[in-house]
Parts: sequence; C-alpha cells; structure tokens
Amino acid sequence: MDEQPKLKPSGSKLAYIPGAEIVGRIDPWWGLVILVVGLTVILVTVKADPFWDITKFVWDGVLVTALITISSFALTLVVGLIGGLGRLARNPFLHGIATLYVEIVRGIPLLVQLIWWYFAFPVVIQQIGEWLHISVIANYVANPILTAIMAITVCYGAYMSEIYRAGIQSIPKGQIEAARSLGMSHFQSMRHIILPQAVRVVLPPVGNEFIALLKDSCLVSVVAVADLTRRGRLYMAVHFNPIEVWTMVALLYLVMTLFAARGVAWIEKKSHFER
Amino acid sequence: MDPIIHIENIHKHFGKIHALRGVGLDVHKGEAVVIIGPSGSGKSTLLRCINRLEEYEAGRIVVDGIPLDSAQNINAVRREVGMVFQSFNLFAHLTVMENLTLAQRIVRKRSKDESEKVALDLLEKVGIPDKAQAYPIQISGGQQQRVAIARALAMNPKVMLFDEPTSALDPEMIKEVLDVMLALAKEGMTMVVISHEMGFARAAANRMILLDEGMIIEESTPDKFLTSNNERIRIFLSKVLHM
Repeated sequence: MDEQPKLKPSGSKLAYIPGAEIVGRIDPWWGLVILVVGLTVILVTVKADPFWDITKFVWDGVLVTALITISSFALTLVVGLIGGLGRLARNPFLHGIATLYVEIVRGIPLLVQLIWWYFAFPVVIQQIGEWLHISVIANYVANPILTAIMAITVCYGAYMSEIYRAGIQSIPKGQIEAARSLGMSHFQSMRHIILPQAVRVVLPPVGNEFIALLKDSCLVSVVAVADLTRRGRLYMAVHFNPIEVWTMVALLYLVMTLFAARGVAWIEKKSHFER
Repeated sequence: MDPIIHIENIHKHFGKIHALRGVGLDVHKGEAVVIIGPSGSGKSTLLRCINRLEEYEAGRIVVDGIPLDSAQNINAVRREVGMVFQSFNLFAHLTVMENLTLAQRIVRKRSKDESEKVALDLLEKVGIPDKAQAYPIQISGGQQQRVAIARALAMNPKVMLFDEPTSALDPEMIKEVLDVMLALAKEGMTMVVISHEMGFARAAANRMILLDEGMIIEESTPDKFLTSNNERIRIFLSKVLHM
C-alpha cells in the first residue's frame, strides 16, 4: 500500500516569526473588532478636531440608536413567538390573523411603515378622538421614539414570526409524539420539549435579525428621531465636512455591529447541545 | 375479565388510502401480542391509534376501561400506555436522566428525588446506569432505545406499545434491546409489539397477528403461526426470514 501523504501543517517549514503564536491564538473576528476599535480610537485621539468633536456631538444619537435597537428587538422576540405560534395554530382564525399580519407587513418597506406610523397613524387617532369627542385622544401627538420602537417591532415581528415558525417546524415530529405519549399536554410539550430545541435552531437567524435591526434603525432618522444618523446629519449641516462625519458615523455603526456579532456568536456557542 | 385493550371495528383513511378496514382486537392483562405484516399494511397506524397519536374515523377503542373519546380521556390513556418508537425519539436537548425524569415530574407530579430514584433503578434494569448524565447523541442506538424503554417504564404504564423498536438498529445492537423486552414480557407486562424478529416472537409472544391491507389475516399462538399452512403467512414469513 502506498504511503499516505503526511498531513503536516503547512506552516511548519516557514521561518519562525516572533510573536506569531500569539497572533494565531486570537480569533480572527476579534482581530477585526480590535482593528476597527483601534482605528476609531486613533482617529479620535490623533485628529481630535473634528473626530472627537463629532463623536461628542453624535453620542446622544448612539444612545438613542442603542435604546431603539434593544427595546424593539426585545419586543420583537415576544411578537415573533406569538406570531410564529399563530402561524402554526390549527385554529383557522388564529392562523389566518397571523398569516395576514406576516404577509401585509412583509410586503411594505420599513421606511414606508415608519412614515405611516409617524405621520398617518396620529391623524387617524385624532380623528377618532374628534368623532368620539374625547379631547385627550383628539390631541394625540406621536412620541417619536415610542412610535419608532412600535413601527420597528411590528415590522421585524413579522420576519421573526417566520423564523420561529421555521424553527419549530424543524424539530422532528417524533419529539412531540414522544412527549404526548408520555402524557404531557400540548402546552407542556411545547414548553419543555419543542421550544427549548427550537430556540437553539433559530439563534443564528435571530442574531442576524438583531444586526439587521440595528442597521435598519437608522431609518428612524427620517421621522424626527435623533438617532446616530440624524445627529450626524445635523453636525453635517453646521460644519459641512461630509468625509469626516460620515466616516465617523459609519465607524460607530461598525463598532456596534461587530460587537453585536461577537455577542451573538458567544450566545450561540454557549447554548449548543453538550456533545 | 375485561381486556385491557379493546379495539372494535376501527376504520382509518389517509386521503384515499383505506389504511385500517375494520380491525378488531382484544389484549388481556399480561399478554404479549406481536403484530407482523408487510410495510403499508397498517400495523403502525393500528398501534398509534391505541394511544391516539393517530385519529380514526370509525370504531371504538377502550384502554383499561377508559374509552378514547375526549381530550381528557386521551391524556388519561396516554399516562397508562407507554410507547417505544422505531426512531427512539429521545429528547435531544436533555440528558438521559432528564429524559427519564421530566414526565415523571410534570405529569406524575413526583419529586425530583423520587423521580431520579425511579430513573436510576430503571437504567440499572436496562443495563446502562453509567450513562445517566450523557446526552442522547453521545450514546449508541441500542443504548438510546433502551433509554427510551426506561423512559416509558418510568411512568409505570399498564401497557407498553413497541413500534418496530429494533428496525433502526445495527444488527449487533438488536439483541440488547430484545433482551430488555423479553425480560419485560416475562415479568408479565402487557405488550403490543410490531416486530419482524421471529426469535423474539417465539420466545415472548402469547399471540401473533398478521395484518395486511388494513385487515387482520391471521391470529394464533406463535407455534401455530410459524408452522401455519396459510399461503399468505408462509409467503410473508419466507420474506421476513430471508431478510
């Protein structure tokens, strides 16, 4: 029998590079995070004018973006679970409602939905208030941040419903049959057997949704929410230095998404089945 | 004495296929019944009707005096009937121990300590006490199926149903599962088993049944069954035994 080619690590014949083993131990994706954060820090310290100035100015916006992203994502998880279970419901009414919701929301661009909730919805409420002669409702004024969170939740909840539905459907039918044949109720089987497994299946797409939501949250800047993008535009309007402002804004988004991606990867790893 | 499983004139369709055509069967306490039949004959469907994993359109099933007619009764019957599947169906996200204790705690309302004691005794009985903390994916198919049997037994069922428990196993693992089942039959557990393991049937069964095209073709003791002159039995057995 021929001797098998030896599978030596190809690097073994390379010249010794001092410190190479330390570099090799760093997860390349953490390397990217360090690179981007490092670049940002260097810009801010070495060229404080305008980069540090910009950062100070848009920092409120970073917090608003984080607030909107985290709160609408948390709500989306709940809406998605309800929507996903609705999509799987045998009851035709529940199934119909959930399907209608998903189909309508998925078919309208998020930007248009945001504009509708912010500019059209309050008028609808006001007119109902006038019709009912209730002044509190007739004088309803939309709170920009709450409206933004609601609009994003409604939109992403629809996508999340589909992710949950697919996740639940991916669990083999035998699992629920085994649970039911042990005398567990439908609810108990869902709670103890199906959902814990489905959650692990949907983690990667749910993590993607989180990052997509973080980026899409910049759309709220069109409806008077002072998020990172809008703050950047305000700074631009005064100082008119597009290269610096938009580079800084882009870097700040990138830092947030990179950390979010690392966080998602960490949670995925933690929740894997023990093997 | 009333039979523990009473099946009366069951009819079941899958779309246009008439899967069960008026099957009737009584199983008495302590009996082991082995059902054989070609694939598509309706044997799995019949077994799954007994704990209502499958619905049927006509007929009547009574288990331990409880008719399978309301959701409440169905859950009551499922508590008394253990089921073992061809594909094991262990809960993939739980350890062997958790697989055995979960239903004891939330259905039988046993304490953690009590359910774990029951589980350990059963793992001892099926010969794998050392795998209590393993996850299903970490143990062999034969071990998984023995855990599945223990999981069903932990609920103290009055009847055990086995749906081709060894057909997904590698040959060298079939015996370890059949040995557990044989011991169970010898203890007097009421069992309905779908299996083409004729050695097991001869050793364990009180009765054998041949099902074909949704009807019971023959029903007799293993000795008579295996030496029958009935053409269909002989043809079927010749196929099974030459597998």
